[in-house]
Amino acid sequence: MTLPRPEQNADSTRTVFLCEDTPDGIFTAVYDAWDSGLGHQNVALELNGCFNYSLFSQYVSVSTDYEKSFKVARTLNHKLSGQVFSMAYYAALAQPPGKADAIYRFLVLAFRHGPGIVSMLGLPEVQAVFALWRKVGNEAHYFREFIRFSDTGSGILFGKVKPKCNVLPLVAPLFSDRMPSESWALLDETRNLAVFHPAGQEWFLTSAFEDFSESPAEYQLPQNAENEDQYRSLWKIFHKTIAIKERINPRCQRNQLPLWYRKNMTEFMD
Amino acid sequence: MIIRENLPLEEKLKILSAAARYDVSCTSSGVNRKGEKGALGNAASCGICHSFAADGRCISLLKVLLSNECVFDCKYCMNRASNDIPRASFTPEELCGLTIEFYRRNYIEGLFLSSGVLGTPDHTMELFYRTLYMLRHQYRFNGYVHVKTIPGADGELIRRVGYLADRMSVNLEISSQEGLKKLAPHKTHSRILTPIRQIQNGIIQDRLEGRRADAVPGTIGMNERKEQSLLLRETSAAYETEKTTAPDKAALDRYDPYWQYLVRSAQTVRRDRPHFVPSGQSTQMIVGAVPESDYQLVHTAEALYRNYDLKRVFYSAYVPLNEDSCLPALDTKPPLLREHRLYQADWLLRFYGFQAGELLTEDKPNFNLFIDPKCDWAVRHLELFPVEINTAGYASLLRVPGIGVKSAKRILYARKHGIPDFTALKKMGVVLKRAHYFITLNGRMMYPVKIDETCITHNLIQSEQKKNWQVAQDMTYHQLSLFDDFHLVDPGEIIHDTTAP
Repeated sequence: MTLPRPEQNADSTRTVFLCEDTPDGIFTAVYDAWDSGLGHQNVALELNGCFNYSLFSQYVSVSTDYEKSFKVARTLNHKLSGQVFSMAYYAALAQPPGKADAIYRFLVLAFRHGPGIVSMLGLPEVQAVFALWRKVGNEAHYFREFIRFSDTGSGILFGKVKPKCNVLPLVAPLFSDRMPSESWALLDETRNLAVFHPAGQEWFLTSAFEDFSESPAEYQLPQNAENEDQYRSLWKIFHKTIAIKERINPRCQRNQLPLWYRKNMTEFMD
Repeated sequence: MIIRENLPLEEKLKILSAAARYDVSCTSSGVNRKGEKGALGNAASCGICHSFAADGRCISLLKVLLSNECVFDCKYCMNRASNDIPRASFTPEELCGLTIEFYRRNYIEGLFLSSGVLGTPDHTMELFYRTLYMLRHQYRFNGYVHVKTIPGADGELIRRVGYLADRMSVNLEISSQEGLKKLAPHKTHSRILTPIRQIQNGIIQDRLEGRRADAVPGTIGMNERKEQSLLLRETSAAYETEKTTAPDKAALDRYDPYWQYLVRSAQTVRRDRPHFVPSGQSTQMIVGAVPESDYQLVHTAEALYRNYDLKRVFYSAYVPLNEDSCLPALDTKPPLLREHRLYQADWLLRFYGFQAGELLTEDKPNFNLFIDPKCDWAVRHLELFPVEINTAGYASLLRVPGIGVKSAKRILYARKHGIPDFTALKKMGVVLKRAHYFITLNGRMMYPVKIDETCITHNLIQSEQKKNWQVAQDMTYHQLSLFDDFHLVDPGEIIHDTTAP
């Protein structure tokens, strides 16, 4: 991709790099913005489709380039540290607005201060990425706990989630370690992403099933296995009887397990 | 007694999970174990809560009894021999099947297996062994298993079960010998403590063997070691002062990173050899069944942590199930707020370097129901405050209400580069609502505060107004007396967290 020449008075014009809402897209934009040589204060990163046009700015569309993204990831890991990379990566999985630019500002400081940047929570740029990192990490942890699988017959387990952050890349390795010899699939309904894990093999992430919900019959998963309903009802029985009735406390339950997580949880479906 | 053969699985699950629910412990924490091809499951030391029941308690494990038939007649227990209730038992196959199928669907993190005493303690323990052996070897289950030790069972059986389980526990139930004798005629403290001691020795031996087998000094990971040394350096100054006030061998041990690593830390185990109870043992005490003070309970807990290296002591607010002249009346509400305060104190003992004697004394044997034990301690020790965020040691930071283990560590790292303002502290996770009375940042407090016990207590209670209202709503016409009113009706709504990882 060829970039526009920096204008004479680059100071007064801001160049906004528009990128795709994926870690690769954001890292590519980081690469391009850095490489443009316009000066950090003159560039900004925004995500496609969720920004407002502003005056005195020119917009450059960034097409995701896996090589550039890989270079950024490699540099962060080698020149800084795995922790810096993981903070930036987690932040890139957060909910859209503002994260791309937050990551860019964080990385500018990271290259100035070195790997110690992760603990410099006095700096607002670090605080921003730290908050995103924490949010994404927490949500991923919750989904690790609250995802429910169903047996679809022929031994395939299937679960779906509707997360706010893009948690699939974070929970997939955990489930892969937990059930290495099971075939399972996870669907992110918010982003139409899916993780597949064939028994005994590596997992992979794909967005190939864009029309998953309305797809023709050949893409649909098999129906529930014979004894699936039995285990579902056994689980519901257990969930109900394990509560002590003298201590019933729905508010405490909601604190620990907010309602929006319960959409696809077996025990909360009627 | 009704014993029905061939109950359907649903009925059995209903009976045996209802019978198990009064056991509090439901953690899956304390051990890291990677998954293995061909097997099902792994273990994460942080513990995973898979759901929360209607009472707000976490569901991490499939908590069931193997059987609710019992020859013991403990007065407080639903399954006591003299109760006329439906009895049932799982077969090992049923239990294994349930565990595996629930685990695959991500419902649970493993199995919590307890039981009534079926015939003899030895027989019950043997059934545990058969079930767990089948689960581990035939069903190749690699997830978490928590199993109860039956007091009085043979040492060899306990040893064998210990190599199949991750955590074992025996419930102490009542902290005083006389209380136990009155309520559980078949149990004595020595019969409960013998297996605890045996398991403790087994664990230490197992971990020492691990050291020799690995034979490399780097078993503590680099980061962990760096962190330990940093914390120790930071701690040393504050600790010096503590040492002069309370010279105590056990306290010294608590600050020794090697000891902590060896016995208290979560263990990461490899599957190259079997490990003995890798995630340690726990116990449980009933709160409110006999008139014991919080002071007694906390002291017992501290002694168990120090002398028996327990991982957790759980507190169970007494829920009246049986009518008995030795027990509180059937309509007694479970003392939930008291239980909550005990858990808060328990955290202070385990993670914050507090000692039981600092929190409560014989003259003041119960916790203040209006403010948490840490705030309560802090307002009684205003001579130690305010502490300066930029210079205070780790130990002193930990003693500030509103600063926890994570935020204290973050402060230590962040302040090397400067913490500009209170907003930055807030972003690090410090709860300024409570902390601002006790800290200065660059020599200034957040607001001008009068350092005065009554004044700060009043404000702290005010900031907990919402919770206070809950406490108060049950007794509209009662004049609140702030400091020594322990006769409150517990609201039963105070949030508690029994099993946070």
